[in-house]
Order: sequence, then C-alpha cells, then structure tokens
Amino acid sequence: MNKFILLGLVFSLGLGSCNRFEYSPNQIFDRNSPQDINASSLKRLGDGKTDDKVRFILTGDTQRSRDETVAFVKKVNEMPDVDFVLVAGDFTEFGVLKEMEWIARSLSKLNVPYMGVIGNHDLTSRGREVFERMFGALNYSFTYGGTKFICHDTNSREYKFNGQVPSISWLKTELQPQADVSNYVAVSHVPPLNSDFDQNLVKDYTDAFAQTPGFLASLHAHTHVYELYYPDDSGIPYIITSAMGNEEFLLVEIINHKISFERISF
Amino acid sequence: MNGYHFKHVYILLGFLIVFSGKASAQGFKLLVPDNAIVQFAGSIGYFSVGAGYDLFKNKKGILDFNYGYVPADKGGELHIVTAKFAYKFYEIKLKDWGKFYPFNPGFFASYTFHPKLSYRFNQHLFPDNYYYWSEALRPNLSIGNEIEFNMKKIWKDSGIKAISLYSEMNTNDYYIVNYFQNTSALTLADIFQLGIGMRVKF
Repeated sequence: MNKFILLGLVFSLGLGSCNRFEYSPNQIFDRNSPQDINASSLKRLGDGKTDDKVRFILTGDTQRSRDETVAFVKKVNEMPDVDFVLVAGDFTEFGVLKEMEWIARSLSKLNVPYMGVIGNHDLTSRGREVFERMFGALNYSFTYGGTKFICHDTNSREYKFNGQVPSISWLKTELQPQADVSNYVAVSHVPPLNSDFDQNLVKDYTDAFAQTPGFLASLHAHTHVYELYYPDDSGIPYIITSAMGNEEFLLVEIINHKISFERISF
Repeated sequence: MNGYHFKHVYILLGFLIVFSGKASAQGFKLLVPDNAIVQFAGSIGYFSVGAGYDLFKNKKGILDFNYGYVPADKGGELHIVTAKFAYKFYEIKLKDWGKFYPFNPGFFASYTFHPKLSYRFNQHLFPDNYYYWSEALRPNLSIGNEIEFNMKKIWKDSGIKAISLYSEMNTNDYYIVNYFQNTSALTLADIFQLGIGMRVKF
C-alpha cells in the first residue's frame, strides 16, 4: 500500500511540474516569456491627443516584493481615470529571467498599460538581455497628451562609471523642441544625487533638463524612500517614489502644463 | 587567454581535485565511473552529459558530475559544470526486471561560464554587501525519482548492467528567496524546475 502512495505522490509531483523544463536560471528567454511589453503597452496607450488630464502611477523596486505587487495591482485597478503605470526599475533582485517573468505576470493584471525602465539589479547577470527582449530598449521615449516621457538608464555604477551612462547626448537629442510636445518628464531608476549615479555627469544632466522649456519633473526610484528635492535653482522637482515593498506609490497628474503628485499607500 | 577564461581555469581545477582526491584515497579503480548520464533540462543545460558514482556500501548515494550546454537559440549560450549529490531513501522492487526509487532528495552546485556571470561581484566597484550573491555559482536543492531496468534480465547480451530513467525537480537560492517572501504571488510549482535523464550502468 505504501508503495502506491509513494508512486501516486511522485506521479502528481511530476504532473504539477509539467512544462517546467528549465535549461538554466541564466537563460534569457523560454517558450513562455513575454516579449516587447513596452512597445505593446504603448500601442495600447495611444498618443492621448485628446486627453487634457494626464494621470499616471509611478512605482519602482518591485524586486522581491511580489506579494505587494499583487496588492498594488488591485489598488491601481480600483482607481479611476489612470492612464498608465511606470515602473522605474529594479523589477528583479537577481537579474534572472524567472523573476522578470513572475513580476510581468503580476503586472499584466493591470487594467491600464504599463511601461518598464531598467534598474541596477536588472543589469546583474544577464538581466540586460532579459530586459531588452521582454521590455525593450534601455533608453526610449513616448509622447502622451502633449507630454514627452523620456525613459532612460541611469545605473552608472553597473557600467563602472564610464561616463556614457546616463547618455547626455541621447538625452539632449530627446529634449529637442518638437511638434505636439509642450512638456517633458524624465523617468529613470537612480536619481542624480545618489552615489550610484556618475557624479561627473550630474551637472550636465541637470543642466540639460534646466535648459529645456516645458521640462516638468525628473522621476526616480532606487532609494526605496520617498523624497522630493531641487538640486539647482531651475525649480524642477526631482521626485523619488517609495519602493513597492513599502506599499506606497505616487499618483502624478499633468493638467494645463502643471505637474502635481500625491503619495498613496496601499 | 583573457582574464575571464583564466579565472575559470581554477574552477575546473577544483573539479579535477575532487576527482583525483577520490582516486588517491580509494585507489584508481574507484575513479572509474559506475554509470554514464545524459540529462535534458533540469537547470544545468539544455542537454548535459556526465559520469556518476554509486556511493556508500549500500550504493544508495548518488554522486554525479555533469557538463551542460545551452545553445543560443534556447536562451544561451552557456556552459555549465555541475556536481550533484542525492540519496535513494526508498527502493521498491519491480519483480525481477527492475527497481523504483521514488524519493531521492539531494543538492547540487552548478557553475555557469559566461562573460556576464562572475563568481563574485567586483569588490572595487561595489561596496560591501551591495550585491550579496554569486552570479555564476548556484546552490540547488533537488528531489528526484528513478526507475531502473535490469538489463541482465531484459537483454542479456547488451553488456550493460542496467539502464535507468530519472526525473529531477530542483530549485535554487534565487527562487527560494523569492518564494519565502512572496508565498501568495508564487507557488512551489513556480520555483521547482524539471529535468529528466537517463543513466547507463556498466
């Protein structure tokens, strides 16, 4: 009798793990991995040309906080008039495929489109390749409701402070005046006044924003603690959202060329 | 030879020492593996090949050394070396043609060779405990089972003692950390990965 119980147990375990053949934790895709999430989200979002009240969520550092991410999704889905969600980096703790798949699985339950930005943890191991395939480019931009969102990689330490990250030249190109764009918002993981940001680039970075007419705010994550600061006299706010694990995010509104934000706990 | 490859020569040397240590202690005869292994998936390669040893007097211990490969079109390219240990707790006789080992828990360590994976993070670049894990060295827990066919009974002239088929589920430190902090978002089925293999005993 004992034998049959054991056989049954083994058999059921085997069934439960059907289709779970893993070649390596460091493989950069498998047959179930989603692809190009940012591009498909943006396609769903559209350009919001008729939307005069841009409302979006800023969160970040989902890392090991998957249970909280489930609660986050529930909370955001209950909120009215949210246009989209921005996840400002550190999807993963260890930069591996499975973690990125798990977090994408939770975030896919959002009723609104979401876009991801690369964080330093996502650049460990082969995370860069995983991210590029699953989400898309590390530096990209999109325009919604007349505001251009410039999403980019500021994880300088991961590049040994080589002077290329963040890419000031790419940012300057993106900040050029353009038709149908009246405002700009920058979105990245590491804020400029953090030691993981290349300190030799801070002035060029903040100057590039300060010199752009209609630049509204620079949005970040990484430190896990909410913070608002003004690094120069341009009046541009640099805003850091609290981490997913702290069960708090930011609701940001852009109405009539003015930006406002609210801390929301869940 | 560049720095990356050079560093990994030491890891390979480590594996050789494990082999030779066994040789000097127990004589050359024991160095000859008891079985040859082919495995599909199981987190140590798309395919891996290896040599296995029966451990202890009751031969219920399993010690395997594998080399695995993940081609680029399967999410690689990766080269992986693995050392596994497991113990066959139960043995069920299947008449005279075979045996079934339903519960073989164990652990294994794998080392993955890839330019983006380091044994430890650059200590000059990252402050202490900035990143606390090893990218290349992965500790794993495993649960396997194995069905063994007695070839002397089934096919006398094959020159093979036995052929066995096994399946093995494993998880690693990454997944365990994720699981225990997120028991509602993740299931055990999420964190356990599957591999299957064949063992030929000479």
